[in-house]
Amino acid sequence: MSTFVARNGIGESQRRVEDFRFLTGKGQYIDDVNLENQAYAMVLRSPEAHADIKSIDASEALALDGVLLVVTGEDWKAAGYGTIPTKSGVRKFKDGSDLKEPPHHAIAIDRVRYVGQPVALVVAESLDACRDALELIEVDYDSLPSVTHQSEAIKDGAPQIWDDIPNNICLDFELGDEEAQKKAFEDADQIITLELVNNRVTATPIEPRGAVADYDAETGKFTLWNASQNIHANRDTIADAVLKIGKENLHHIAPDVGGGFGGKNGVYQEPILILHAAREIKRPVKWINDRAESFLSDTHGRDQVSTVQLALDNDGTFRGLRTETVGNLGAFCGTVGPFTPTGGSSRTQGGPFRFDAIYYTAIAPFTNTCPLDPYRGAGRPEGSYQMDRIIDYAAAKLGMDPIELRRKNLIPESDLPMKSPMGLDIDCGNFPAVFEKTIEISDRAGFAKRKEASEAKGLKRGFGVCMYLECTGGGPKEEAKVVFRDDGKVELSVGTASTGMGHETVFAQLLAGHLGIDMDDIEFHQSDTDATDIGGGHGGSRGLEVGGSAVTQTSREIIEVGKKIAAHRFDVGADQVEFEEGRFHVPGTNHTMTISDAIDSQNDPDSLPDDLEPGCMNISTVFERGIISIPNGGHACEVEVDPDTGTIKVDGYWVVDDFGTIVNKMLADGQVMGGIAQGLGQALMENIVYDESGQLVTGSLMDYALPRADDMPRMVIDYYEDAPTQKNLLGVKGAGEAGCVGAPPAIVNAVCDALKEFGVHHIDMPLTPERVWRAIQDAKAEG
Amino acid sequence: MYDFGVKTPKSVDEVKTALGDSDDGQYLAGGQTLIPVLKQRLAMPSDLISLARVDGLSGIEAGGDSITIKAMTTHADVAANADIQSAIPALAKLAGGIGDPHVRNRGTMGGSVANNDPAADYPAAVLGLGATVVTTEREIEADNFFTGMFETALDEGELITEIRYPIPEAAGYIKFPNPATRYALVAVMAAKFGNTVRVAVTGAGPCVFRVPEMEQALTGNFSPDSVKDGMVPADDLNNDIHASRDYRAHLIGVLARRAVAEANG
Ligand SMILES: Cc1cc2nc3c(=O)[nH]c(=O)nc-3n(C[C@H](O)[C@H](O)[C@H](O)COP(=O)(O)OP(=O)(O)OC[C@H]3O[C@@H](n4cnc5c(N)ncnc54)[C@H](O)[C@@H]3O)c2cc1C
Repeated sequence: MSTFVARNGIGESQRRVEDFRFLTGKGQYIDDVNLENQAYAMVLRSPEAHADIKSIDASEALALDGVLLVVTGEDWKAAGYGTIPTKSGVRKFKDGSDLKEPPHHAIAIDRVRYVGQPVALVVAESLDACRDALELIEVDYDSLPSVTHQSEAIKDGAPQIWDDIPNNICLDFELGDEEAQKKAFEDADQIITLELVNNRVTATPIEPRGAVADYDAETGKFTLWNASQNIHANRDTIADAVLKIGKENLHHIAPDVGGGFGGKNGVYQEPILILHAAREIKRPVKWINDRAESFLSDTHGRDQVSTVQLALDNDGTFRGLRTETVGNLGAFCGTVGPFTPTGGSSRTQGGPFRFDAIYYTAIAPFTNTCPLDPYRGAGRPEGSYQMDRIIDYAAAKLGMDPIELRRKNLIPESDLPMKSPMGLDIDCGNFPAVFEKTIEISDRAGFAKRKEASEAKGLKRGFGVCMYLECTGGGPKEEAKVVFRDDGKVELSVGTASTGMGHETVFAQLLAGHLGIDMDDIEFHQSDTDATDIGGGHGGSRGLEVGGSAVTQTSREIIEVGKKIAAHRFDVGADQVEFEEGRFHVPGTNHTMTISDAIDSQNDPDSLPDDLEPGCMNISTVFERGIISIPNGGHACEVEVDPDTGTIKVDGYWVVDDFGTIVNKMLADGQVMGGIAQGLGQALMENIVYDESGQLVTGSLMDYALPRADDMPRMVIDYYEDAPTQKNLLGVKGAGEAGCVGAPPAIVNAVCDALKEFGVHHIDMPLTPERVWRAIQDAKAEG
Repeated sequence: MYDFGVKTPKSVDEVKTALGDSDDGQYLAGGQTLIPVLKQRLAMPSDLISLARVDGLSGIEAGGDSITIKAMTTHADVAANADIQSAIPALAKLAGGIGDPHVRNRGTMGGSVANNDPAADYPAAVLGLGATVVTTEREIEADNFFTGMFETALDEGELITEIRYPIPEAAGYIKFPNPATRYALVAVMAAKFGNTVRVAVTGAGPCVFRVPEMEQALTGNFSPDSVKDGMVPADDLNNDIHASRDYRAHLIGVLARRAVAEANG
């Protein structure tokens, strides 16, 4: 306890307190929420990629026993509900005109624009009755030409998804200095160009989306339990913008949420539809997506096609970087969808490397596909993939060593703090030290031997690295509220949202460490609009950075109040009281008072000085982050490729991350491992595929490949902790997304290294066995 | 799921009666294929006739030159059986590579063979080892059993009771798993019986098939070198997002060589 308290809980690998609940089936997930008299809802989804709805006949469905309600676009028109707005941070075209935002209603009105779009909602006494009813609703569609690929969508003459949006372009974007970039390119000895695909993927959380809606006709208040990562902001959108009921009339709660990864961040249609339904039938309504629906309707991620150009001198010095990308948005603007390929992908361009100039442009078009929104990393994985792939590609083309090329161009510690060419405030870090440590732990010395052993088995071994630069994001404000209850329990409410990351552990660890109280006495609350006034939810690796800082700030204020109580008791000035390891004391005297003593006194007016009210230690504060922080790190990876079949085995993985201060290493390791798993999935197998007619081909786990435990390598994870940031109270830099920022380029680089003897220098993700085999065949054919 | 009734006969005779008493009855073995199909409302049987409690439908019997596996024997039991491990290790390996532990503990050989999924493992064993499928009505040679995609020679209501596998001199089974399903993207069983060689391929086409050209080449010389690329033309092979027909054709060659190498130890 004493080192724990002495370090304010920081640096302790506390075991996750929530796991017992999760692992023994006692978690309360959305499907565990059941209200008395609840009805069930299912969604009729569009089978067409693009079509006019001529008519919907629900009469047979409504006649069925147990069917209570069918909602269609006609009902929506009549109700006059608002559209779901996008909150994209980038809202202007390069020329200053406004982003084109088509009306996004919770249900299709007159036309469908992607397979899976909600066309009708059925509410019935049972799920079986819902299913029967879905089969009986007759929709007459008039098919229209459709387009699913972003590069096709922007061509003249492509099918128009929205009548008033030319070339389907929602937004274009630029960042950086074009003139300076051109000059750097003119001056440089070499320009290397690489076209890249960042494949379309989906989060596939283990728990599908779902919600339960309740309406109290007497008070006019709604309650929505929702498997969502973003309770407060989405309440405002749903209540104010869409249903127009006033946010004070919507109590929004997320129970335990089984994974999100960004896929549960946005405002979705179905929770809105069931709120409407609950008011219509005056009964609670429950809806849970099934897995097949999840593939059709959970927002997808990534999906960019880019051209990257690196200008460098013959001695390897980087001069300029130019990236052009076309990012698919799907049929509508996601909640922050248009931001990802524009602002989101631009900020970390150039990574931790020195450049004279960088210029980034993007086009974000609509297509007849499910909308896209952030997926773990949201733009930064795209940026690091572009950067670290072009380095290895240039090295291969120019006969240079990719490790040396990085070494030569890493921003030295002496350049920090600095503003990157993309405007990022890089305050601290030591990229060369992180890089060298990564190389060091990855046992380069033993590589040649391992390669020989692979060769003897007919396998090709390769090594790849990536040196990523990241930035945090998401809501800048967070609230942490502490209430000391009479029964001795301490309620800690934070506005972040854990979907499995361990907030319940780490925030309690911080509070317990700061105050010197027992972690077991802390009850954690999150994701409830009644528990905290504000809440930034989940996203942008912000949990510890903003939420942890809020807990720290609240703890400090509690201690300040405690000092006043102690000062009152000992009849000294508050500035004479010190707090250490759970005790207030007055130096030079034997006056001490424990924190629990102070807590006990807070409700007794006689124990309080005049300026304090009973309950004064129950404190809520809001922490606001000024500037986003800059996580960075090195990934190294070894693969074995079977050239006869194209199969890849990732055989070793080493990471050194600079996340600033490490509060709980076990939790940080978990974040890194999970991120690497998702990055490995994207690099090797995950791929959302639509066919020519806009049908989703990868509509189930039979076609969408996810990594399994035995696909994962042994991972060695280490940290660089000598550069805590001053941007928040803990010195942390955000750990949640970094794994999948670094993994795809490290893995693809390693595979290309293994195949360089064949002349294979690039393969687009996912690196399926067939793609790898084909790349070898094509390279052999080219000679 | 649509509504259905459940019947639990105790003997093969009762199975027949139960089927006769149903409008549109269907056998339920391990349910690892049928239950997902029902959940998706892709089938609407009036009754499920559970084979779980039928006497004498489960077990493994080792004879002199063959091993007989009863229909309801699970994949896990086949994988773990000592007789099979020593007599036909390729068959134990095949069963042990199906799905995951849950699937192997529920799924049965009879269900797999009756279902004849084009990507399933067992059909390669039955055809590659030249087994005999024994039903309530007759005995069917492997070569006559698998008739097309999800189609077999079984008549309506005909029940597989057991399958008799002749013990080969040597056999090898190599599976290239589909990265999403881990069924066979392509898998090859190669077996040598004296002067006969059988090579069966699953996953690659609409239905498991033999490769006469490889069998001939291997009969002369049961060595990996006898298998040449291009012995199976790509034209009739499956073509999907996981693998093109060309790649499948290529894999057949690679896997057949590895299966022969494995058989040779
Ligand atoms: C996650 C998962 C992974 C899988 N992976 C693989 C894999 O890698 N390789 C593989 O080969 N398979 C795989 N399978 C399928 C598995 O092997 C099934 O067990 C098998 O295909 C069907 O066997 P069952 O006993 O479950 O049959 P059921 O599902 O009960 O029945 C299947 C069909 O056969 C009929 N039937 C059953 N028994 C008989 C009988 N004795 N006579 C006549 N008809 C009968 C039934 O009426 C039904 O039509 C997987 C399944 C799952 C769920």
